[in-house]
Amino acid sequence: MKNVLGTRHGLRTNRSLTIIAQDPSFQIDNKILRATIEVPAEELSPGPSGYRVSVIDYDATANVLYAPLELNSGLDENYPDPFADKSDQELLDNPGFHAQNAYAIVMRILARFELALGRRVAWGSSGHQLHVAPHAFAEPNAFYSREDRALFFGYFEGVLDGRKTSQTVFTSLAHDVVAHETTHALLDGLRQRYLEPSSPDQAAFHEGFADIAALLSVLSLDAIVRAVLDGKPDDRLIDARFLTPEALIDSSLMSLAKEMGQELSGIRGSALRQSLKLEPGHDYMNDEAFQEEHRRGEILVAAMLRSFLDIWVARLQRVGTISRGKKDRSLVVEEGAKAADHLLTMAIRAIDYCPPVDLTFSAYLSALLTVDREVVPDDRYGYREALLRNFASYGIAPSSSADVDGTWRRSDRDMVYSRTHFDSMLRDEEEMFRFVWENRRALELGEVGYIEVQSVRPSTRIAPDGFVLRETIAEYVQMLTLQAQELKDLGVDIPDGLDHWRNVTLFGGGTLVFDEYGQLKYQIANHLLNSEADIGRQSQRIAHLWESGFYADPAVAASRFAELHMARAMADRVSL
Amino acid sequence: MKPSRVTIRSYQVGFGDCFLFSVHYDNGDSRHVLIDFGSTGLPEGVPKTRLKAIAKDIQTVTGNKLTAVVATHRHKDHISGFATNEAGTASGDIIAKLQPDLVIQPWTEDPELEETATAPRARRGRKNLSSAARHVRTLWAMQQVAAQVWAEAKRSRSLRPEMRAMLGFLGENNVKNLSAVKNLMTMSKNKKKNKYVHAGTSSGLEKLLPGVNVDVLGPPTVEQHEEVGTQTSWDNDEFWVRLAAADRTSPPSGMSAKPLFPKHVVNREKYRFPVNARWFIYRAKRLRGEQMLRIVTMLDDALNNTSVILLFRVGGKSFLFPGDAQIENWEYALAQSNVRKLLKSVDVYKVGHHGSRNATPKTLWNLFEHRSADKHDAHRLTSLLSTMAGKHGREDNSSEVPRKTLVSKLERESTHFTTQNLAANDLCFQVTFDL
Repeated sequence: MKNVLGTRHGLRTNRSLTIIAQDPSFQIDNKILRATIEVPAEELSPGPSGYRVSVIDYDATANVLYAPLELNSGLDENYPDPFADKSDQELLDNPGFHAQNAYAIVMRILARFELALGRRVAWGSSGHQLHVAPHAFAEPNAFYSREDRALFFGYFEGVLDGRKTSQTVFTSLAHDVVAHETTHALLDGLRQRYLEPSSPDQAAFHEGFADIAALLSVLSLDAIVRAVLDGKPDDRLIDARFLTPEALIDSSLMSLAKEMGQELSGIRGSALRQSLKLEPGHDYMNDEAFQEEHRRGEILVAAMLRSFLDIWVARLQRVGTISRGKKDRSLVVEEGAKAADHLLTMAIRAIDYCPPVDLTFSAYLSALLTVDREVVPDDRYGYREALLRNFASYGIAPSSSADVDGTWRRSDRDMVYSRTHFDSMLRDEEEMFRFVWENRRALELGEVGYIEVQSVRPSTRIAPDGFVLRETIAEYVQMLTLQAQELKDLGVDIPDGLDHWRNVTLFGGGTLVFDEYGQLKYQIANHLLNSEADIGRQSQRIAHLWESGFYADPAVAASRFAELHMARAMADRVSL
Repeated sequence: MKPSRVTIRSYQVGFGDCFLFSVHYDNGDSRHVLIDFGSTGLPEGVPKTRLKAIAKDIQTVTGNKLTAVVATHRHKDHISGFATNEAGTASGDIIAKLQPDLVIQPWTEDPELEETATAPRARRGRKNLSSAARHVRTLWAMQQVAAQVWAEAKRSRSLRPEMRAMLGFLGENNVKNLSAVKNLMTMSKNKKKNKYVHAGTSSGLEKLLPGVNVDVLGPPTVEQHEEVGTQTSWDNDEFWVRLAAADRTSPPSGMSAKPLFPKHVVNREKYRFPVNARWFIYRAKRLRGEQMLRIVTMLDDALNNTSVILLFRVGGKSFLFPGDAQIENWEYALAQSNVRKLLKSVDVYKVGHHGSRNATPKTLWNLFEHRSADKHDAHRLTSLLSTMAGKHGREDNSSEVPRKTLVSKLERESTHFTTQNLAANDLCFQVTFDL
């Protein structure tokens, strides 16, 4: 075992690195706001290139490769941060720093996901290492590409707010942009079918979730919360009147939105801005204007951010008042960052409790509530109440197949366990498939269609009693390809104009959550055609695909969605 | 003075459009409308001086007088023939001398819509222009982008030859052709004689062509049909403006780009990148090519959708000239019941966008009541196609132009004429319709 030289201590687990807290335009006293973040320590080659992230600074527009950044070996005793004392200009002018900034934020988000789920989380693309190109091309754009196993960050000329001359804007220096793209890659690893065409909700979810993870990641930095609170980061106390949900929207979130580089405003940052504009108390889900995917994602972001503020304020109730209605600023900041961090953990864990296909916002809300009930059964911090209330105010109710409190119903069916082995089931997809096959009746899988187990994964966390709790999460997917005419006979609505001979594929599937005894705890499923609700879901999905041109020209059907995704990548908040 | 005959000359311009629509009257008088004049590539064997030869032919046929010029949209393959030169001897100079009484262009060409405005705003006294101005600004930015893509494609050594050819073609076609645009704006001498039309406006042709009805079916304005706007910009019309400004560091075409951080560039040995980076660099280059192709395809589509769609009705026959209008442009017209009624009786169809997949919507084609498999049917639909295979799109994703399935439909259900059947030394084919 490799120890720190001359001692019996193991190697350090973390490496501290300087990043730009939000982006270069977020400045205090004319200085770029920075943060030092902890990322997992690891052996690194030049790039930096580590066990999950490999930065290759190639610029396709200029066709040049920039020199890789060399951080010291993970086997060394100390990990000096090479940019800790550099001037702002040095940070901007050195591509090595851009590489470090992107590397550190990607690793931080990855570590955040792994901490929440208690396991290694794979990227959506094959291979272990995700490429990161911090100056990929001259374009106001950044995106995740599954096929290229990469995150591409563009650069472009932009004019900073209040200035006359333009300067180069690097998307790899924007914390939320890097976090957003990383989240796409991780969500794709957790639920690979979410990038497939389905409902407006599912298309909107990828963007909405990536925005949520990015914003909560930014807000979980003390430096950011302190800076945006009331504009007086150096005061030791803060007036309690700044600490209501309404005041916090104006002070913290609005000013964060404002600070998010204006030159990037058309490109991103508008996710926050746009969703703050959505006043609660309106049924956005059924509003015509919010059927379009990009706008729909804003609803989810708005509901989560309002929940965040409520949770923050609720936590502040426990912070004592010092003098004349004033509270200790550092405690207020700490509680804000903590609330963001907790909510982010819940948001990530909830993915494990979502169906693998045809995701809706309602199902995601039920997943969030279930995750929280598992951890805090009595809701003593009011998280579930806050989520229910805020989601409801945007028109999102828990799933109709959930329990009265909005959480998923526990499975109460008798299952056949005797033909499978507990230990195998924890890791083996073949064994899990056998379980699914033997229990196809109890699981209501129907008689037709192709079934495939997509993943079997452990999920560990600390239970309320302090013991390690291990669950197993498995996903199965069902596919059924029929001619449009046959679907019609099954009660599924076929849009006018869709040829009756055209093959149409329906999806179904479920997530199986097993407890620590290997007993089925939840089956969170969208069945193929079991109920009227399933048939309605299939009809809606086909109608949505028809309207978006998916069936119009079979020859281009596939590339059409690639283009849609591309188009979304290019529209502002979508990919960026 | 009554129309007695219509002739249409379809000129061989390779990949492009050039049609001379002539109405002949019973008193021996004739009036001529030139619909588009441009090319982005000539077939093998056709002399480079072809456009000038066509201009001279038009001069002769029209007896030195054009009644009107229609430039359906500003793509090179529709307007390059209007380009002028300093000596005043280019094909566009010859056309200008024919002193058209009217020049018709889409509303997006209206110089009143300040195209370089930094913020979209309405001019005084004109209503609802802000979205229009924004759209025009977006189109302007798109053409800047096209120029950049064209330059990048030309200087890039890493693109596959076919990708480079496609990028070159689309980039070039979308680059602003300044002298042609200016010539179109000024050739009618009197500014008031320039018409910038949108769906439902008057074409101004009726007065000049007695006995002929002309309906403007497209393009719709952004107010009329939102998709026109969203198609160019999704929900963010800033995007193209930003994209246009993104690459200011990029040098003129032909030179290699200046790196962002010259001091940090890795030196290559014999042009080779370090071995660890090669797989990714290969992918990044490929991705960049595809990305540029998608960008230019999108802006190509957007400009196509600014096409003027004209329906001429004369002596019981109707002639449809839709430029390169694609589905987003057509959608508005096809949603109007009175327009659908008019379209049913089309006798002559200039095939949209050189026979591409998405310019002849099924809903349009199915309306045509004169479609007939009977070759001897006296009322059979006539289709005119100006195109050149192998220039645009690719067969592997069914985007080849002309689209094979469309051509076989045209051949089966109409009397079909295509410039592809012309020999290299044929200037045009002429089809006559007695009224």
